This record gives sequence, C-alpha cells and structure tokens, in this order.
Amino acid sequence: MQRVFVAGVGMTRIGRRSEPLAQLMADAALAALTDAGLETPESVVVATMNPEEFVGDGNFASHVATHMGLADVPALRIETATSSGAAALYTAFAQVAAGLRRTVLVVGGEKMTHLDTPRVSEIIGRSIDPYERTYGATMPALAGLVTRALMSRHGVGAREIAQVAVKNHAHGARNPLAHFPTPVTVEEVLESRIVADPLRLLHCCPISDGAASVVLTAERARVRIAGIGHGTDTLAVRYRRDLTAFTATRAAAREAYAMAGFGPERVDVAEVHDAFAPFELISLEDLGLLPPGKAARATLDGDTTLEGRLPINPSGGLKSRGHPLAATGLAQIVECVWQLTGRAVGRQVQGAHHALAHSIGGLATNNWVTLLESA
Amino acid sequence: MIETIAASRCPRCALVVAPPAAYCPHHPVAMGPATLSGVGEVVTFTTLHTPPAGFRSPLHIAIVELEDGARFVCHGADTRGLKVGATVAIEAIDDVYYFSHLGALDRARLFWRRAGHAGDRVNAIARSLAKRVFRSPTVNKRP
Repeated sequence: MQRVFVAGVGMTRIGRRSEPLAQLMADAALAALTDAGLETPESVVVATMNPEEFVGDGNFASHVATHMGLADVPALRIETATSSGAAALYTAFAQVAAGLRRTVLVVGGEKMTHLDTPRVSEIIGRSIDPYERTYGATMPALAGLVTRALMSRHGVGAREIAQVAVKNHAHGARNPLAHFPTPVTVEEVLESRIVADPLRLLHCCPISDGAASVVLTAERARVRIAGIGHGTDTLAVRYRRDLTAFTATRAAAREAYAMAGFGPERVDVAEVHDAFAPFELISLEDLGLLPPGKAARATLDGDTTLEGRLPINPSGGLKSRGHPLAATGLAQIVECVWQLTGRAVGRQVQGAHHALAHSIGGLATNNWVTLLESA
Repeated sequence: MIETIAASRCPRCALVVAPPAAYCPHHPVAMGPATLSGVGEVVTFTTLHTPPAGFRSPLHIAIVELEDGARFVCHGADTRGLKVGATVAIEAIDDVYYFSHLGALDRARLFWRRAGHAGDRVNAIARSLAKRVFRSPTVNKRP
C-alpha cells in the first residue's frame, strides 16, 4: 500500500454565510490547493450530505468541479450522512494508497442556515429509520434517548454533560473560524431551553454553513495519514443492545489503530464528534482515549481542556466551531493538521505528534476514525 | 388486558425485532414470525417540546424492552415519575403504540398469568426483583 500524506488543507469560516454552497466549497478547496502548492489535482472527491434538499441542486461533484475550474478532472461524490466528509477522505486515501492517483482534492460543505430550524431538522432527520420517524424521532430526540440512558449510569449527571459544552466553547473562543466563539457557563447550559429532555439547547451543535478541504498526495509531506477505520451499526436505534456506547465508533477505532500500528495511548490531541455534548463522553470511551466510565470525571477535572492531559476538540468541536454536516469530517482533519504542524494559532497543543479525528454519521450508523502523525 | 405485538425472529442469531422486518439487520436471511406480550421495561425515554410537524407538544417517546430482548419504540401520555427500568404496558390506539405505567394490581395479574406452577410464579417474581437489584451493572456492562 502506497503511503499517503497531507499536502495541504483549507477551510472557510463556519457560520451563517451568504455565498452559494459551490462558492464556499471552491473557497475551501482553492485554499487547500494553494497550501499544497498545487494547481490541478489528479482527481476530486466531493462530500455534501443533502444539497438536493438544502439548496435544490444535484450532481454536485460536477457542479463544484465545474464552478472552480476543475471540470476536466475526474470528480465523484461520497455520502454517509453527517460523516460524509470523513468518508470522502477515506475514498481519496484509497485512491492514493492503491496507486490509482498521485494527488487527490477532497472538499466537503453544506449550506443550511437559509432554512428555518424545523425544516433543517426534517431534512437531517431523513437519515433516521423510517419507522422510528413515524413516532416523531428527530436527531435531537434520538440523542435525548441516548442521553437519558447515559445518565442512568452512575457518575454521569447534568453537570458533567454541561461541562463538555463549556469546555468546547472555551476552545472555540480561540478559533477565528468558529461559528459560536462565545464562552458559556455551566449555569447557562443548565438553564437553556429543553430540546429533548434531558437534552438542552446548549448541549446541541448549531446549524451552520461552511466548507473544508484536504489535498492528499503520494509525495512525502509533513503529515501522514497513519490509519483510517470505518464502523457501522443498525439504522434503527431499537435494534441496538446498548445505547451508551457506539458500536460503529468502536469498530472504526479498532480498524484505524490496527492500520496505524499504534493505539490510543499515542494520541496527543483529538477532534471528536460532539454534535450533542454527551456524545463526547461516550466517544472518548469508545475510542479508548479514556477507560470505560471515566470520561465524565476526566471532563469535570479538566483533563480534556487545551491545558489538560488530553486536549479534546481544540477547534471548539461541532458545538462551537459549528457543524456544516459534510464539511465537519474534513474540518476536523484541517484542525488536526494545523495542530501537528504548529499552525493552530491561539490554541496550539505543544508537541503534538499524533492526532485523531472521529466523525459520526446519522445516529452513529456510519462512523469514521482517522489517525494522523507528523512525518 | 395485555396486547400482543407482532414481531420477527432471526433463525440464525435469534434476534427479535418489532414491528416485523423482512430480513435480520445482521444476517441476510428472512426472519420468521413471532408474537410478543405487550409489557416490558423502559430502556430510555424523552420528551420533545417542539416536535416535528404532525405531532402535538409535548411528545413523549420511549424505548421499551419486551420479552426476548426486543426493543420497541412507542409514545406515552406522560413521563412524570417514569424511571429507566420501570415496567410498563404497551397499548395500541389506532395502530399507534403507547406505554402506560403498570399499577401493583396489573403487575400481580401479570405474574399470575405466567406459568401454571406456583414455583414458576415465585421464580418469576424473584427474577424480576433480582433484575431490579442488579440492574446497574448489567446496563453498564461494556465488552
């Protein structure tokens, strides 16, 4: 297998954006190509979760490629719900690793803020099991069910979960590209509106626009993709035995660590899919970054802050940086690369050599773990 | 009156799902028919205050574990005082399933309905109590 390196990265500011989706994606992609010192890649992989419904456009690989002057470069689109960006990275990785292409541009983006919240929730909700939807299941509803199950475990209370949001907002306040770079307090989180009891508004990531991009290459560069793992689970949440752990994350982590040849103990910094604050606690244990049952305590003790033993979501995570669906899996890679190359100005984790990115698709039906190392 | 709920069982792994499904989610084999008694334990529940279009607020949603481990999604009229692990009955109203709290009398009736032998009934009650006591470790068990 050909070794795969990151030649360049780029992303837009995340938030409420007026530009069309194709323009946001072109901005991120051109920034990544400039960073890589490359004008034309050998192929393009595009990720957007649902441009058909969010912006009314389809055939999006050709749309983006044509818009940004890469109409003559083979382009395809990849989709695994909210983890589409990570899935697109894997596709590009596979092309380079297999020796099919020497340089691949990956770009992911989503545009949602022009629609009202119920409409966005409905469109995202199409990634939920149709039968469960007939009972009113939305993403926040399923996350509420997971949160209640988690809180019935000893040691996971409202304070521990709120602290995840507080910590990630504190990190995001140091990221100029974050959607909500505003600190929040535990009290504000605990007093915010109930969305899906016991889940509150400030436990949930915002609805965001934005794009992120990565250029992969077979030429040696400063950061190498050490491993990528893919894990899946049933679409229907009622088919699962345990709601307080995500099988898909565990499978993805196992595969990624095996490919990389190292385990969670080598990870210096991680970007974890905190679409809902309790998911960070679940994921830290699923990824093996913390022992079972220890994530809540470690979070309360500050172990996962930028100054802590194991900084988690230095970018602010989905919670504060924002969650433009298919851009997110790639925005995580961008942050990891900036951390590994000393370019995370204002939030740099000192001496980071190994980084992990974790992306959840749907309600943990299609998850990805990517391991990066400074080469 | 306890409802009967239609379900499916995988001939390969014995997974039971409700409502019925054509194929096992873990094996590409056709599932066989099964029926389950409409009573079980609350796995988790939530209340939506801004439910999706077509639903009234507040919307209560629960996952209830029926016999043979089948987990069932249903609505409820109220979640006040409801706890994870509580025993509830499932009722169908116009093809939509709702859970309701079981009173002491309903519980007793359930136990008496079960096996024919007095010993079995006592065992059933003991199992139910034991399950309650040892709930946390089993729920928290991680592979």
